[in-house]
Amino acid sequence: MNAPTDGLAARAARMGPGVLALAWVAALAAALVDAPLLAIAANRLVPGLPVTGGTILGPALPGVLALSALAAGLLAAAPGRRAAAGALALLLAATGLLAWGIGHGAALRMAGEPSAARAGLGSGAWLAAALLVAASGVAIRRVSRPGLGPATAALLVGGLVLAGRAGTFDALSLAVEYAGRRAAVHAAFVEHLVLAGGALGLAIPVVIGLSLWRRGQGLVGLVIGGVQVVPAVALLGGLVALTGGLLRAVPPLRDLGLSALGPAPAMVGIAAYLLLPLWRGLAAALRAPDPASLDAARALGLTDVQILARLRLPLGGPQLVGALRVATVQAIGLATLGALIGAGGLGRIVFDGMAQFAPDLILLGAVPVVALSLAAERTLSAVEDRMRTGVSA
Amino acid sequence: MRSRPAVGVGLAGLALAAVSHPVVATGIARLLGEAPRRALDGERLLALALQHLALAGTGFALVALLGLGLGILATRRAGAAFRPAIDGLAAGAQAVPPVVVVALALPVLGFGGPPTLLALIAYGVMPALRGTAGALEAVSREAKAAAEAMGMTRRQILFSVELPLAAPGIVETLRTALVLAVATAAVGALAGASTLGTPIVAGLQNQNTVPMLQGAAATAALAFLGDAALLGLAAILRINRP
Repeated sequence: MNAPTDGLAARAARMGPGVLALAWVAALAAALVDAPLLAIAANRLVPGLPVTGGTILGPALPGVLALSALAAGLLAAAPGRRAAAGALALLLAATGLLAWGIGHGAALRMAGEPSAARAGLGSGAWLAAALLVAASGVAIRRVSRPGLGPATAALLVGGLVLAGRAGTFDALSLAVEYAGRRAAVHAAFVEHLVLAGGALGLAIPVVIGLSLWRRGQGLVGLVIGGVQVVPAVALLGGLVALTGGLLRAVPPLRDLGLSALGPAPAMVGIAAYLLLPLWRGLAAALRAPDPASLDAARALGLTDVQILARLRLPLGGPQLVGALRVATVQAIGLATLGALIGAGGLGRIVFDGMAQFAPDLILLGAVPVVALSLAAERTLSAVEDRMRTGVSA
Repeated sequence: MRSRPAVGVGLAGLALAAVSHPVVATGIARLLGEAPRRALDGERLLALALQHLALAGTGFALVALLGLGLGILATRRAGAAFRPAIDGLAAGAQAVPPVVVVALALPVLGFGGPPTLLALIAYGVMPALRGTAGALEAVSREAKAAAEAMGMTRRQILFSVELPLAAPGIVETLRTALVLAVATAAVGALAGASTLGTPIVAGLQNQNTVPMLQGAAATAALAFLGDAALLGLAAILRINRP
């Protein structure tokens, strides 16, 4: 690896960490010093005037930069796990200090302003957050202790929520927007979970039923593969028209609470897209045990049900969870479109924000969607990894 | 025989295109018991389809270029170090659905096409990159070793061994990207881009079924026809394979 014969590439690889760390620190400094950390506007609709970190953060600015530079230096200079753990602690401290500095600085800056004035997070704040998260990711990977990633994320989110409860971010526009529609956001969050969960609950039995139909697998693959090609907006529109027609043909369905616009057609539409990943995953899981073990099981006198429960499902578990992960992330994303046909969910807040051209309202809906799908992705892929190592062990 | 899936998908596309015709769509709406409302005339539908095609085509070209180029770079020797970062980024980017990117980009980029293109690139590049890299990595080691033993340069190996052998996998990746491009262009209607999504969104808001049905059928038709074209390309590539 460290033979000096490969010339330029090897030299770049050796210099890489140092150069990368320097570039990272420079980018962070630019985000905090040059870019607009906050945008102060007279109200929530007009674009704000940029304010950089120097004015907002005050004495916290050198603190954030020093902590971050120290962490970057540690990551670049020492390859060990202990150094990485130290760097992670420094990065977390920098993130916390930055968050507190932004909240505190915004509160000072907004103290004399009329109540309609808003302090929105600017590009500098987002860039700095992205850089800090990326560096923390590198540090976490290097420590390579299972569970550290989720624990760090939980610590960060928990800390931000606690600080928010304590009123640290009250001056920020996002918090003002949230305070104004707390109940609506919570309701939308629950609706979103119901939409995504309902679609999964609808798709799973359908997929199990379809895989039992041995002869029709070719046709099934063709049809549910074809569904994937249909754009979601088009499918939802078509389903609304079909549901409307169905309701007119069979009016008693209305009494069951079914309507052309609402959660029912949205769930069906979302479920349609989940069929392919689930069906593929189930097929792969059932194929997981090799023919020799199946023969052995049959020779031992195991029934088909026993083979399914003791052999196919445990061996195919990782594939099943992998399929569930893909389907869950898709369901959470697609549920955002449900608001288009009156199904509610976080998409409604996003679309309200788009209609009003209010960036903070869009964020208020978008951030939970992204957080939900990231959480689902990370959790299920951790389960998948654990099952994989459990199977091979 | 080998081009049969392309023919089937193409026929589905043509059938959907027929459904989007004003007369057919009005008939279907009548069958569904909708009150007859004014349909979009053929001219307007064609104009929207062309705008849809232009937006989706631009996005697809950008995603394909970036995905292919970065996918090739990631599989070179110098790119190996970036693989974990790429896989992490890919998983992260998948967590932000295109609608959300369109919505987030709206205040920054304004109404119209740009938020849609950004959404397409943000959501589409990483899977395209991963697919390309996966297809290139699946090329057998023996084939590459043989080419090296024959004295081929790295560039020659890439263009006359790796890429031709990985072509079917790369076309699969491009199919996903194309379908995504057509779908995202429809979502772009929410950000004011004038595409086939526009009559769907407007129809949903005004309870106007006929244009909604036309827009939905035409969008799906575009997706199917594009998919058929790439399936046909895949069939040709497979036939021409040595």
